Amino acid sequence: MSDVVLAPPRAAGRSWSGAVPYALVLLAALALPLLGEDYWTVIATRAAIYWVLVSGLNLVVGFAGQLAIGYGALLTLGAYTSSVLVEKAGVNPFVALVAAAAVGAVAGVVVGLPALRLRTFYFAMTTLGFATIVTQVALAWTGVTGGGIGVPGPEMPAPFNSTTGFYVLCVAIAAACTAMTLNAAHSRFGRSLVAIRDAEVAAEASGIAKAPLLMLVFLFSGALAAIAGGLFASLQSYITPDAFTFDLSVLFFIAILIGGRGSVLGPLLATVILTVLPEIAAPLVAWSTFLYAALLLAIVLVVPGGIADVLDFASRRALPLGRAVLPRPALLPALLSGAKGQGALTLRGVALSFGAVRAIDNLDLDLHPGEVHGLIGPNGSGKTTTLNAICGFAVPQSGTAAVRGAALPMGNPALRASAGIARTFQTPRIVGEASVIDNVMVGGTTLGHATLGETLLCLPRHRRDEAALRHRALLALRIVGLEPLADVRADRLQHSELRFVEIARALMPSPAFLLLDEPAAGLSADEIGRLGELVTAVARAGTGVLLVEHHADLIFAVCDRVTVLNLGQVLATGTPAEVRAHRDVVEAYLGR
Amino acid sequence: MAQGQTGQVAAALEPIRIGWLAALTGPSSAPAIGFNRGVVFAVDEINTGGGLMGRKVELITRDTQGDPTKAVNATQELISRAKVHAIWGPTNSGEALATTPIMARTKMPCVHPCVVDSLIDTTKFPSAFRMAPSNGQWDDAVRGYVQKQLGVKDVAVFGDTTGYGTSAVAASVAALGKDGANVVNQSLIDATQPDVTPDMLRAKNAGAKAIVVWSVSVGMLSRLMNVRAALGWDVPIVGHPSLGSGEIRGLLEKPGNWDKVFMIGYRSCSYDDAGKLPARSAEFVGKLKGKVDLTDSSLWWVACGYDAIRLIVNGVERGGGSTPDAIIGAWNQTTKYPGIYGDYTFTPTEHNGYPHGDVVMSRSNSQKEGTFALAPGYS
Amino acid sequence: MIASIIASGLALGAVYALIGITYNVMYSASRVMSFTSGQLGMLGGVFGALFIARLGIPSVAGLVLTLAACAAVGVLTEVIAVRPVLAALDKHLYVLSTLAAALMIQQLAAIEWSTEPQPFPRLLGLGSGIFDEKFWLPVLACAVVILGLEWMYRRTLVGRAFVAISEDNFAARALGLPERRLRMASYALAGAVAGLAGFSSGQLLLAFFANGAMLNFYGFVPVALGGLGNNRGAVVGGLALGLFQQAANFIVGGVFASVAVFAVFIVVLLAAPQGLFGAPAVRRV
Repeated sequence: MSDVVLAPPRAAGRSWSGAVPYALVLLAALALPLLGEDYWTVIATRAAIYWVLVSGLNLVVGFAGQLAIGYGALLTLGAYTSSVLVEKAGVNPFVALVAAAAVGAVAGVVVGLPALRLRTFYFAMTTLGFATIVTQVALAWTGVTGGGIGVPGPEMPAPFNSTTGFYVLCVAIAAACTAMTLNAAHSRFGRSLVAIRDAEVAAEASGIAKAPLLMLVFLFSGALAAIAGGLFASLQSYITPDAFTFDLSVLFFIAILIGGRGSVLGPLLATVILTVLPEIAAPLVAWSTFLYAALLLAIVLVVPGGIADVLDFASRRALPLGRAVLPRPALLPALLSGAKGQGALTLRGVALSFGAVRAIDNLDLDLHPGEVHGLIGPNGSGKTTTLNAICGFAVPQSGTAAVRGAALPMGNPALRASAGIARTFQTPRIVGEASVIDNVMVGGTTLGHATLGETLLCLPRHRRDEAALRHRALLALRIVGLEPLADVRADRLQHSELRFVEIARALMPSPAFLLLDEPAAGLSADEIGRLGELVTAVARAGTGVLLVEHHADLIFAVCDRVTVLNLGQVLATGTPAEVRAHRDVVEAYLGR
Repeated sequence: MAQGQTGQVAAALEPIRIGWLAALTGPSSAPAIGFNRGVVFAVDEINTGGGLMGRKVELITRDTQGDPTKAVNATQELISRAKVHAIWGPTNSGEALATTPIMARTKMPCVHPCVVDSLIDTTKFPSAFRMAPSNGQWDDAVRGYVQKQLGVKDVAVFGDTTGYGTSAVAASVAALGKDGANVVNQSLIDATQPDVTPDMLRAKNAGAKAIVVWSVSVGMLSRLMNVRAALGWDVPIVGHPSLGSGEIRGLLEKPGNWDKVFMIGYRSCSYDDAGKLPARSAEFVGKLKGKVDLTDSSLWWVACGYDAIRLIVNGVERGGGSTPDAIIGAWNQTTKYPGIYGDYTFTPTEHNGYPHGDVVMSRSNSQKEGTFALAPGYS
Repeated sequence: MIASIIASGLALGAVYALIGITYNVMYSASRVMSFTSGQLGMLGGVFGALFIARLGIPSVAGLVLTLAACAAVGVLTEVIAVRPVLAALDKHLYVLSTLAAALMIQQLAAIEWSTEPQPFPRLLGLGSGIFDEKFWLPVLACAVVILGLEWMYRRTLVGRAFVAISEDNFAARALGLPERRLRMASYALAGAVAGLAGFSSGQLLLAFFANGAMLNFYGFVPVALGGLGNNRGAVVGGLALGLFQQAANFIVGGVFASVAVFAVFIVVLLAAPQGLFGAPAVRRV
């Protein structure tokens, strides 16, 4: 548990210009019935219903990156649940929708569970399997679902049973879903999902536990999908299993990818486009799935970022050339206020083998708060493995670790952030599609307290969390000297800038111990100098820094103590001067 | 001319717009393709003859692909955008179940050939009319033939897993039970299942002496016939009209596998022992020669589609206009309208228009230009 | 009954195994799992019916033409759906591009060929009952492919080159192996294998566009169970799947049988995500 005090929030945050496209869409939607043509109202109702499902699925596919292709299963479940409840049990249609949402939530978790164990393609296949199972069960369970003959869809009470009335209801629900998913997207939940998708190890190191988060998202999107199913049944006025075709599942899935991952507006526009497209010309109806697929292929090959990428004008503005990263270490105490350490990070007798290869052997290490401890050695000596062991990415066969006296359980990387340990990586693990500040805010995930429910409804605690996190992230960026690039897409930055972004991210939770994995690799001499100043300042502020490096100059300049590894064993430990003169070290590594 | 008269003249010359919801592609498309031939022929014939008092028939076809979602979209388009005066179709029960309530809401006159019994209800759907037998009528004919002509008591009932198949099997089993027959085995088979030996073996082991099949899938039907021959199991197969579809010929392993298969037929489309069709049908077939191909389809589909268009136009004629009330009012007063496929009768309380006695059984392998021989035992 | 289960189970199982091998060959060449594998199988049946039944070409020539056509489509897949995304940093793109390509192939077949199953010609006219050629042709095809692949990988230079690029892509390139051409050749080979699967099972499955999606799934199960890249595992998995499916068909009937297959598949996959004979996962950090 972090006892960092978050600074009082400023009136920062997203400008209202981001809301304009959504307002336009809503206005267009509300103006449609004025055309007086029922046909387009029905098509628009369909688009709104599909969007209710897609908005939830967007969090699963677009944000979390889980390729759930067979989501039609949940539409089917929701449709049948609400229809059967209204038809056979006489339940009020709105109550039936809520019941369907509950069923959908549970089913969403069941469908999503394999995602925790299986890789992408395999998970996609299991969702297809689920889609088929649900349809077959609907077909076979004649007593409840009416089998092949189906059941009538729920008829909404007046005034929602007219074409226009039902349309307004669906638009209202769709608007609510848009608002909720937008709230989720611009929250630590949304950022965490994207982090899991694109930089899973960094996400874990930042304290993001994949399983509970994914299950929450599957729960939410399952509920939305089922609500969409109930509305779909009302629109169709009668449902049979053959109404839930594979083409529908494909439409939902493709809409998200054509719209662009990590965006809400993109998939919204894509859903509308894909629903309307086959209606523009009658012959298109037979070719609709072919067109969707061709569009998808075109998007993947030409603009993988989808519609959202095309609309992302901000990302095309040129960045200034010849930028320099100018950290301001003086600001550190404001960020690292709670890091005053009491007690060291200790490793005793740690041994880790990969198969027959002994990566580290009988390793003892002490990292004290306020000190910079260098870890050097030739390639393959076990430096990164040591970091991984501390962070829980690799589990040693023997040995213990402790933080401030308390034993540190091996494995389970997501617990390290709350234990006060943060790290950077050998190759920067950054979410390329997200902005720099979003990437940094990922580091502060454990500082937030709002639940998903509060986030969806944009309640005060969520808004406080967001404002405080953003303020803190800006401070971190100011410290590493990257504040001017805060809103730039991370994949537009130079390699050296990304290294500093990682450091800013790692500093967010005010860690007691900061582990840096070759942060100077790829930096110019100037930048290495500035990095050194920053590292020193971090240590002076009370954090213990473990610095794995190949740049001997940097090591000897900033480190208080140095440990040398060779072939997994500690060769020498001591001050830089002692180590530099050590005979074995000179032989094995440094040279004369 | 006065303004009112110009308006009336304009209305009088306005084309009669008929919407046609056809599953021309997708599963179960064979019937729609057959209907379509009749529909197009009828529209051409009427328009070449000058139309109805100068009013031409404008046909607006929408391919629903057998998908209820597309059918609902298309129905709404026909009603509000194309503003048709009447709708013929859809051709699949699954689609009809979804579109009928929509048409009822706007009182759109519609006539369709779908067999599911619940589709016709004069209170819930006052504007919907059926001009083909209901599934109940089909079931009566098959049941009667199996029990009386074939003299069989132990029956296996198969259907496919579509909406139609499931409900038809359920109804058939119930009716057979009431009649005192013994349903030893019933099975719903996915139409794409590659090997139907398991289901046939189960029926054979249960002691079935006849197989009743309710499916429009020619793939599945031909597999049943092939497996029957492979098992050396000499039992009659009786059931759905698709058993006689021309497409089956190419799917059979041996032509002999088509023996002893009897399907629903219609007196109007069956030839007697002398090879003669009823007079009106023979005349119709003569008109079609060279213009419409019947060998890979069935005459009843073509005739039914033809009749549908003529029935709609007749409704406009007798009703004195193309408003919904005019057409529905005229239809409700139809007594033995002479179609090719049958003589239709509708009353305000009965919207199933096909005459009961005209449903017969035919020999499936006797196709001659889309018509069939009467099964043994019929005169 | 048992004889019938075995006959159709082995036949269908052989087809599933062959599609699994198609997945494996594509994966070995490109580290990509392609959704087009099942569609290529479907094309084997459709092209066979097109060439032999509709165009009247003699059976052997029809077979050769079918294999060539499927190989060509396989190469087309590689060019438009696989090669462009191999260079991308985003690892998930291949799922989308191959899914898109697969859907396009399927819809084209549905619209241009037919949405109803079309007859597949009788090829040799041999056998009847459970020894009918429609049951043993797929098994024969599977045996031929397995033996052929083993021979090719062990005895021919091309085969060994395939093995090289699949085991260590960088080393193979460093040795000067023409990676791109080898990959295209692999996809051609995969296409031909799938085409043979579809052709040999044409009398059983008929020339039907919807076979593609079905084969995609059922052809994937042997890969999931047998381990990615493991052809022998795919054969064992495929035959086991075929027999299990037919047995379930006999005992509970078609609808419940497919539910049973899916359920077992998901459970087994959750218990052994790398497959029953698969390799352990690689290091992440």
